[in-house]
Amino acid sequence: MNAVARIVGGLLVTFASLGGANAAGPAASAPPSKAGTHTVLIENLRFVPETLEIRRGDTVVWENRDLVPHTATAEGRFDSGNIAPKASWRHRFDAAGTLAVVCRYHPTMKAQVVVR
Amino acid sequence: MHVLARALAAASALVLATSAYAQGGAPNDAQIAGIVVAANQVDIDAGRLAEQHASNADVKAFGKRMVTDHTAVNKSAVALANKLKLKPEDSETAQSLKKGGADNVANLKTLKGAAFDKAYVDHEVAYHQAVIDALDKTLVPNAKNAELKALLEKSRPAFVAHLDHARDLQSKLGK
Repeated sequence: MNAVARIVGGLLVTFASLGGANAAGPAASAPPSKAGTHTVLIENLRFVPETLEIRRGDTVVWENRDLVPHTATAEGRFDSGNIAPKASWRHRFDAAGTLAVVCRYHPTMKAQVVVR
Repeated sequence: MHVLARALAAASALVLATSAYAQGGAPNDAQIAGIVVAANQVDIDAGRLAEQHASNADVKAFGKRMVTDHTAVNKSAVALANKLKLKPEDSETAQSLKKGGADNVANLKTLKGAAFDKAYVDHEVAYHQAVIDALDKTLVPNAKNAELKALLEKSRPAFVAHLDHARDLQSKLGK
């Protein structure tokens, strides 16, 4: 193979790989390469923060710092069950969307998780 | 006696008893601990009754929640009292709370169905409001020990959430 053919061949390979990446869709919709962990404190009968924005694949840990038990519940999606004082519970979010989270025990406690 | 009048009488007994300290001197830490334990116990007793006898499922669940939450708060209060070597002391306020609680339970035992639910929830609204007032006006300002003061402050949001929850039930039962 002569030098020109070698260079053209190299360019074609580069083109093909770029095309391949485009065909798979924009990079933004690919799962994040590095999943993060976020903490929501349950304190004074509130979720802190009340709105949490995360990325697909991230994990959220709910940490109960109150004297009384709580739950972190998104109806039809997930339910922590009883989270005792000083205990915590974690959940990984794989789908995008906005989820309303409540404590089943204390209806005044409302929060949301926005998964991008 | 009309149920609401009874609930108000029980709640105002607490307010009167705690405001008596304004004239007769402040409660000490041991008395404050005694008031906290009595206040929680009163609501545990009423909650147990509601858990068994309420006809509305939401009222039943609320009663169960009161038992769980006030038991948890009392557990923390007793643990702190032990740590501080503070023996919860009886007082006029604690006695008035216990009497109000016993009167409420005695009244509830004479009621059934929707009448029970309404009387229980009305009393819960008045009771939680009275305890929040007592915390703000008497218990927190007079607590000497910093850890006791912190525990009182930490328990307050639960009473507020319970009050809002009870008010919400009250408005639903009224419909």
